[in-house]
Amino acid sequence: METMNKLGRILLVEDDPRDVELTLTALEEYNLANEVIVARDGEEALEYLYSRGKFKTRSGDNPSVMLLDLKLPKVDGLEVLKQIKSEEKLRMIPVVVLTSSKEEKDMVASYRLGVNAYVVKPVDFHEFVNAIKELGVFWAVINEPPPGSVRK
Amino acid sequence: MAQPKLQLRIAQSAVLRYGLAVVSVAVALAGALLAQHYKFHNVGRQSLFLFSVAITAWYAGVGPAALSIVLSSLCFDYFFTEPRYTLAFTLADVPALLILVIFATLITRFSAVRHRFEGQLLQARDELQIEVLERTQQASLLNLTHDTIFVRDMSDVITYWNRGAEELYGWSPEEAIKKSSHELLRTVFPLPLEDIRAEFLRTGRWEGELKHTKADGTEVVVASRWALRRDELERPAAIMETNNDITERKRREQEIQSLNQELAKRSTELEAINKELEAFAYSISHDLRAPLRHMSGFTELLQRKISAVVDEKSNRYLTTILDSAKRMGNLIDDLLAFSRIGRAETQMNLFSLTQLVREALTEVRQDAEGRNIAWKIGALPDFYGDRSMLRLAFVNLLSNAIKFTRTRPQAEIEIGCSEGNSDDLVVFVRDNGVGFDMKYVNKLFGVFQRLHQSDVFEGTGIGLATVQRIIHRHGGEVWAEGVVDDGATFYFSTPKPRGHLWKP
Repeated sequence: METMNKLGRILLVEDDPRDVELTLTALEEYNLANEVIVARDGEEALEYLYSRGKFKTRSGDNPSVMLLDLKLPKVDGLEVLKQIKSEEKLRMIPVVVLTSSKEEKDMVASYRLGVNAYVVKPVDFHEFVNAIKELGVFWAVINEPPPGSVRK
Repeated sequence: MAQPKLQLRIAQSAVLRYGLAVVSVAVALAGALLAQHYKFHNVGRQSLFLFSVAITAWYAGVGPAALSIVLSSLCFDYFFTEPRYTLAFTLADVPALLILVIFATLITRFSAVRHRFEGQLLQARDELQIEVLERTQQASLLNLTHDTIFVRDMSDVITYWNRGAEELYGWSPEEAIKKSSHELLRTVFPLPLEDIRAEFLRTGRWEGELKHTKADGTEVVVASRWALRRDELERPAAIMETNNDITERKRREQEIQSLNQELAKRSTELEAINKELEAFAYSISHDLRAPLRHMSGFTELLQRKISAVVDEKSNRYLTTILDSAKRMGNLIDDLLAFSRIGRAETQMNLFSLTQLVREALTEVRQDAEGRNIAWKIGALPDFYGDRSMLRLAFVNLLSNAIKFTRTRPQAEIEIGCSEGNSDDLVVFVRDNGVGFDMKYVNKLFGVFQRLHQSDVFEGTGIGLATVQRIIHRHGGEVWAEGVVDDGATFYFSTPKPRGHLWKP
């Protein structure tokens, strides 16, 4: 497939292994899961972005999109978002909040911090798969990522 | 005022006084002549004349007294000194005449002094009368006011007590005057009395709140004003105390204060409860949906894997699990939306209801797909309220109408507005659907209350509860009318916006 060659690297920040599995399954279903880095909490996500800790030796480029859960252990999603958007090197990474919550205050806080998209995970699996597919297609394929992102 | 009367008396007596001198001398002469005639030698002729001079001097003053001395001397000389019946003087007459003159002069002088004193005395009396009159008038003026006024001297002994004081404290002036005011009233001062006194003597006035005890033993709080009166030598002389009963005001103030405290406490509690509720809703929103999503997701994956190898019954089980998960997802969503309406602040705006209904119709269009529905939308006014909440209410009402007319080959749904009473705006949504039994009308708006079996008409049972909550938040009412198998009408009323805003 042509898209295969254009896939970007996705950073998935998600603490729940079942959600990780479902997301990966959905991405796989449409061959979008070429390179997905999974961070299991906010700290790990920041470690990856700053190339420190267990990601000290990762390849230099930024992911072309980051799927960010809000309710995370250690450093929560909003804090991660805040740090990314206030960091010159990182603020161009497109961030999609992918969360269970439709709470208005979360939405407002996310947009205020400069999130690029806000998606509520649908309960229904078909809808969930659709949402992930569309996200993957848009951010990893259609959207032109900022310079310095990985695109294979 | 009494001055002219005094002058009149003097003017009148100008004639009378000299007349008195003449008459009294004439009477003395007559007496002396009679005594001589009847040989009453022991009656002193001189003393008769002296008496007349004395009377004149006493009652008529210096001028007439001098006249009476001259007249008496002449009469005495003419009638009673040798040679008689002549006015000729002999040396022998001199002592008697001299005694008369000296004595008469003394009496005159004495009476003149006495007159002067009498005059001063009268004047003093008149002045006093005037002052008493004025004072009485002032005092009765002070009695007219409802303010409590009393005067105390510098040792706090009451010297004046007006009617206001009597009314407030219950003691009559007779009972209060000459008592020590602070003892009588059992005054409680806001500051040490010495401090108050020092400030009062320095500035000449003091204001503050005092607590007094009335004659019947009850306590009053008064707003007290003290004014210092000084005498001619600028020494502090008396204190006028004007008091206003503010007991009731203080009581109300205290009541308001305690009510405010209570209110602040309640609102803090409410805030805490609200916060808790919010946290609860937040956690439901996040944590309850995740396992559901997993159940649904993995069941789906399982179904994909095994649907080809298991029997139809097993497949149906899997489908049921998926449906249930989806249904529970909807329930959670609806419940969260419902609770959000209770928690969210309303954003009040004026907007077109027609426009809003149009938007709501777009939102429910999917439900109406493939259906034959005759929409009838009447004239709708502008509406003052929370736009997004009201849209949610219409979406619920319209999707209900669509749902419950499903069995009709030709569905009719009408949205309209009737004015209701003059203060309320009434909007209705009417359909020709399956209706309901009025017996259950009270259940319609309850959370999770449903009048239909879920396999006939699906739903979570939160829609109408949401509508009700939205309308309640706008200060309005909801109600419904229905007939089984003959349609239903849902009404809501809200207070009309004031003034020119409302136009049908």
